[in-house]
Amino acid sequence: MASNHQEALLMAENGNIKELNGKEITRRRSARKMSSTSLRKKSDMRLISKVRCALLRNFLANLQEVILGTKLSVLFPAIPLAIAADCYGFGRPWIFALSLLGLTPLAERISFVTEQIAYYTGPTVGGLLNATCGNATELIIAIFALNSNKIAVVKYSLLGSILSNLLLVLGTSLFCGGIANISLPQPQKYDRRQADVNSLMLLLALLCHMLPMLFRYATSSTGLVADPSLELSRASSIVMLIAYFAYLVFQLWTHRQLFEAPDEDVNDDSVSEEAVIGLWSGFSWMAGMTVFIALLSEYVVETIEDASDSWGLSVSFLSIILLPIVGNAAEHAGAIIFAFKNNLDISLGVALGSATQISLFVVPLCVIISWIMGNKMDLNFNPVETGSLALAIIATAFTLQDGTSHYMKGFILLLCYVVIGACFFVQRTPFNQAHLHDMMPNPAPNAIFKA
Amino acid sequence: MEDDIEKEGEGSGKNKNMKMMMKSEIIEGDNGNFGIRGQWLRKIMGNLQEVIFGTKLAVLFPAVPLAVAADTYHFGRAWIFALSLLGLAPLAERVSFLTEQIAYYTGPTVGGLLNATCGNATEMIIALLALRKNKINVVKFSLLGSILSNLLLVLGSSLLCGGLANLKKEQRYDRKQADVNSLLLLLGLLCHLLPLIFKYALTGDHYSVATSTLQLSRASSIVMLLAYVAYIFFQLKTHRQLYDSQEEDDEEEKAAIGFWVAFTWLVGMTLLISLLSEYVVGTIEAASESWGISVSFISIILLPIVGNAAEHAGSIIFAFKNKLDISLGVAMGSATQISMFVVPLSVIVAWIMGVKMDLDFNLLETGCLALTILVTAFTLQDGTSHYMKGVVLFLCYIVIAACFFVHKAPLSNQILGENVRFQPTKDAMAT
Repeated sequence: MASNHQEALLMAENGNIKELNGKEITRRRSARKMSSTSLRKKSDMRLISKVRCALLRNFLANLQEVILGTKLSVLFPAIPLAIAADCYGFGRPWIFALSLLGLTPLAERISFVTEQIAYYTGPTVGGLLNATCGNATELIIAIFALNSNKIAVVKYSLLGSILSNLLLVLGTSLFCGGIANISLPQPQKYDRRQADVNSLMLLLALLCHMLPMLFRYATSSTGLVADPSLELSRASSIVMLIAYFAYLVFQLWTHRQLFEAPDEDVNDDSVSEEAVIGLWSGFSWMAGMTVFIALLSEYVVETIEDASDSWGLSVSFLSIILLPIVGNAAEHAGAIIFAFKNNLDISLGVALGSATQISLFVVPLCVIISWIMGNKMDLNFNPVETGSLALAIIATAFTLQDGTSHYMKGFILLLCYVVIGACFFVQRTPFNQAHLHDMMPNPAPNAIFKA
Repeated sequence: MEDDIEKEGEGSGKNKNMKMMMKSEIIEGDNGNFGIRGQWLRKIMGNLQEVIFGTKLAVLFPAVPLAVAADTYHFGRAWIFALSLLGLAPLAERVSFLTEQIAYYTGPTVGGLLNATCGNATEMIIALLALRKNKINVVKFSLLGSILSNLLLVLGSSLLCGGLANLKKEQRYDRKQADVNSLLLLLGLLCHLLPLIFKYALTGDHYSVATSTLQLSRASSIVMLLAYVAYIFFQLKTHRQLYDSQEEDDEEEKAAIGFWVAFTWLVGMTLLISLLSEYVVGTIEAASESWGISVSFISIILLPIVGNAAEHAGSIIFAFKNKLDISLGVAMGSATQISMFVVPLSVIVAWIMGVKMDLDFNLLETGCLALTILVTAFTLQDGTSHYMKGVVLFLCYIVIAACFFVHKAPLSNQILGENVRFQPTKDAMAT
């Protein structure tokens, strides 16, 4: 019964019978796809089938699939509430909180819609789409913050996203997976080659962050200005984008087999091989959701200082810890669920892939965009942040380099995240109010140039 | 006959030192016979052809007399610099060829030792000459640049080219050799980090901190030399089998030139290298000013690329043939040699000369070194390779090169243009 309706949906949507790429899509699915399916609900067509008019029925089925198709949709009412709060002048911290809550389901739905579109475009372009739109929320928040010249918020939120993926998501997945499979006779295994490539890319990103920071400290005694560091950051951003492009070629073309999920558990899920919404419907949903994400992100960026004042937490804590947790909630849940099922390759693929994408694609893209806009964003995330990034990358690379896992690994990564969170919690920086526009501390007392 | 050649000892017949194998790739075969009368004359011509024309880099040889002429007739100093650099490239390669030839006569162990010491003769000579002129920063930068170039540029381009050429095959190498090298490099890194941290952590006046740093550096250098001796012992004596290539095809078992001839050539070429190195060290600031790039960039990036050109080419060629063990042996072995032998040797020689060279390569350079060793050690620790590893290493090198390109070091005599811009504001407010 359900499949008939789905077929009917598709025919109505596309006008002509479009040959699905179902046969071409092999049984191997990418990690991200499989992870997000864990939050899906099978759409219940009984109510809708009672509607007589076919067009209305299709429209309603579409609506149900997209809006109600996830467990996170309970949070959807936060979106109109946030808009109402902004129009009627509620407390600004409320706007912040509601916008954050509204972003969570939107982020998940965007990746669902992207996946649906990927069914039509084939695996390679689909992979590319996923690679670009996978972190749409972080990218949009960053662009809005750049627009308001809040460079610190950009840096902090992107850094927090990387830390959250590497330590929080990965840590909880390994921990939960380890606890759930504690009675297994052999240890949990995964393919370390994928983790190796991702760790290598993260180390390249670390180099690109450390050099401008060391630059700033190495030349401070001569009172050198920020410009060489900015040039270096921009050149490094181009290099990072080249590396990301090579990584995409590697992942989607020449060494596909390293990145695809193993064959075994594909048949059991409630996952269908076909798309559930049409191509154009997918596009329009995507456009609409992006508009909503942009709206909510604008609220978030504008009200972050007020929320910080009113809640007594520093802006850095909000940007590094809270924002990424919200943005990543869906992937986080998916990664944990797959770790429970002892399917660590997928959890790793989600967490590491997301971290690589942000550090090698979103961050340099923001630097380039700020270059175009005329802002002075560089890659110098200050010593505390760069230090925590360095240790997070080293700890994760070391953890993943032997191909097995147990709960202790997850626990340690999780504790690292707690420590870093505590560090930013207690850091009541003087950056809160007046200095959001410039993140350069004065490394030496005799530096001539001040912002 | 002078060319009485003794065959090597029994076991080493098929086992060749990796560096020797690599050299043979760049050496063209010599089949000339001239029809010139006189056996003696023919021998000399044969010798000449073997030594001077025996490499593809021989096209750069004319740069040597040109550089000497440029210095005598006072051409632009930047020209002297450029010509000396170009002339150094083939000379460096010929010196290692001659070292290999001499090694045929002396047996594998002494030959390996010879290779280990003379393998980076160019870098050593440049360093010693710069020490004599008290240009400590040139020494530090050029040696650091050599390590970075070996670990990132040579290794990266080899893995990249090898990966692209062997896209369908699995590329493996023996990771134990890479592991030992990584470990030694980490020891070297520790010896560099501690004096650096002294500078930031120790309280007390500038003079006492500098003295402590110097004393620590000298003690560390002795330790590093000890480690290097142990490494040589490990490599040539007790764990040879880790380092011998598994090459089976027939190599030339005989030396191409006689022992004393080779020795004479070696001495001659070393003299030429010293001459050109003296030009290089003497004209480096002039070239830096005239070309508009900083001394640090020239020392860290340009000099090592030239000095390493031959090894670089050989390493890539062997990676193409999927013989990664040799490429790794060349790149990592060279980096270890410079880090654990040439650098501490320079400190000791400076000690003898009374020059105050320590192991504190400044913050930015030490940071680059630390991340380089980390990235390389991580890359090589699983025993397989693909082109992505080469891409990442190569891009790391590009980023470091960009960093030093924009880093106008205050160590040269240039006036820093950017600073001047902000001075007037402060002065204007003061007046």
